[in-house]
Amino acid sequence: MRFSRTVWWGVLTVAAVFYAVPMLAMARFAFQRIPVIKLAPDNILAKWTAEPLFETFGDPDFRRAALLTILLAVATAVVTSVLLVPTMVAAHLQSPRARKLIELSAVLPFVVPAIALVVGFAGAFRDTVPFLIRNPIGLVPLYVITALPFTHRTLENGLAALDLRTLVDASRGLGAGWARTMVLVVAPNMRASIATASFLAFTVVLGEFTIASLLLKNTLPLYLAYAQGQNPQGSFALGLVLVVVSTVFVTLSNRFGRKVAT
Amino acid sequence: MSMDIAFREISKSFGTTAALSNFDVTVHEGELVTLLGPSGCGKSTALRIAAGFESADSGDVLIGGTSVVALPPSKRGIGMVFQNYSLFPHLTVRENLEFGMRVRRVGRVQRSARVDELLQLVRLGGLADRYPHQVSGGQQQRVALARALAVQPRVLLLDEPLSALDATVRVEVRDEIRRIQRESGIATMLVTHDQEEALAISDRICVMRDGNAEQVGTPLAVYRFPSTPFVARFVGKVNDLEVELRSGTTLRLRGHAMEVGIPGTTLAPGDARLLIRPEDVRIVPARDPESVHGTIESLHFGGATTSVDIAITGTRQLVRVSDVTRAMDFDVGEEVGVRFDTDRALVTRLP
Repeated sequence: MRFSRTVWWGVLTVAAVFYAVPMLAMARFAFQRIPVIKLAPDNILAKWTAEPLFETFGDPDFRRAALLTILLAVATAVVTSVLLVPTMVAAHLQSPRARKLIELSAVLPFVVPAIALVVGFAGAFRDTVPFLIRNPIGLVPLYVITALPFTHRTLENGLAALDLRTLVDASRGLGAGWARTMVLVVAPNMRASIATASFLAFTVVLGEFTIASLLLKNTLPLYLAYAQGQNPQGSFALGLVLVVVSTVFVTLSNRFGRKVAT
Repeated sequence: MSMDIAFREISKSFGTTAALSNFDVTVHEGELVTLLGPSGCGKSTALRIAAGFESADSGDVLIGGTSVVALPPSKRGIGMVFQNYSLFPHLTVRENLEFGMRVRRVGRVQRSARVDELLQLVRLGGLADRYPHQVSGGQQQRVALARALAVQPRVLLLDEPLSALDATVRVEVRDEIRRIQRESGIATMLVTHDQEEALAISDRICVMRDGNAEQVGTPLAVYRFPSTPFVARFVGKVNDLEVELRSGTTLRLRGHAMEVGIPGTTLAPGDARLLIRPEDVRIVPARDPESVHGTIESLHFGGATTSVDIAITGTRQLVRVSDVTRAMDFDVGEEVGVRFDTDRALVTRLP
């Protein structure tokens, strides 16, 4: 069945309004120097300012939270690539059963609630490796797991597009060992999917609240929740910026994702 | 020391299925030996064991007289070409050719000189800076061959290198492989399921069945004097006829007695099969008293290999005859006589 043009545009408009209206409301609340009860259609262009955002940027708590989150996001992306790529390559080459097992565990974070993850994690490591509970870096393994459904799928697609067995055999036949085969042959051919997985991991960390909150780490989403009470305008401004940044990352990952397919 | 590759009683099973059992064959220096067989006969497994991608359960692989079973693929001094296009897609033709040398830390000047030499060898001088997806399938396999030769391997292993190519390109690349192999004099083992390819390219053919070498010999020997019915059926076309074996060297086909002069006739009398090449069957006039009667069932014009199928009267058996010169003089339904030149035929027990 083909939609007629009118139906098509109708659906598109409804969807656009559905997404745009809250964004616009958010933007007006955040960036217009007008008390919220006086916001009306006729003053939509009046008194716009970026000041609430700058105020937030100036807050040392924000800077600490932002820095921590970026650090965690980068670490999560790196750990994901370094751990997951060789593991998945090995599973592809050696054991279809392991591959199925990895696939299954990769979707578990979808169904296991974050609170269960944290309780298990804290219970296991509070006495054995307290560092992981105390130091914010301890969030990285949890974030790697949380991002797994997205990152695994992306890397899996990247691997499926390769004739991995032949490439690896060719490389080893030409005198390269396993390590060099991974670095010189596998990784360059998975560049696009590794980049996509990294962007997705980054985006997941940027929006993760529950785990950080339960482990009392002041990441950006926590700062955002906290700032809502102190500086509502600033926190909404920041929220909007995060939406834009995440959108950019997802778009970038899509770009790379498309390159994977060709 | 000669650079040969030898399998010594190699056995290998996957789970409960035996892929190879006491497989034994040697490829001498300068020789091209083809492992020929249906899928699942163990030919690819043998090659992968030689390369080191699989390990044998027992037995030994010798390259240049020394055992290599304990070495990883990277240390065996092999060059390998694969069935699937195996060029590294992120590297240009030149970079692909350099890969093995780069891994071995060969200097840039030396590398570049060797690449030029190789490009000339496979006649692809103009394509050095293209990526694999920018060159044709035939060219890719030629680059893959050059890449395998780049590191001056002791032996060359070719795993169905032609099967992904179109018919015309296949013949071209086949001849190219043979030329380069002859020039370099490198011991080469080729795996294929295509008997025509095997006949055309090999010094010797090893016909494989169920993990064993059924017959090893020159293409002519394997075709002309197949040692078993399996080889006769697998290599080239063969007529497979039900006959009645009488005592001695006489057999009967539809009441017509024939003398056969081959060792297979030591079989006890009874039902048997006669395996005979199409070119050893002749069409004669129907009234020829020495002939078996038949009716022309169909004509297959194939240019140089025109052939005729004849239904033996009173049976449902067809005989294929290669009759280059006169095939088109016949009509479907025409009654003819058929004579068998049984000197090189093979007689076997049912089935």
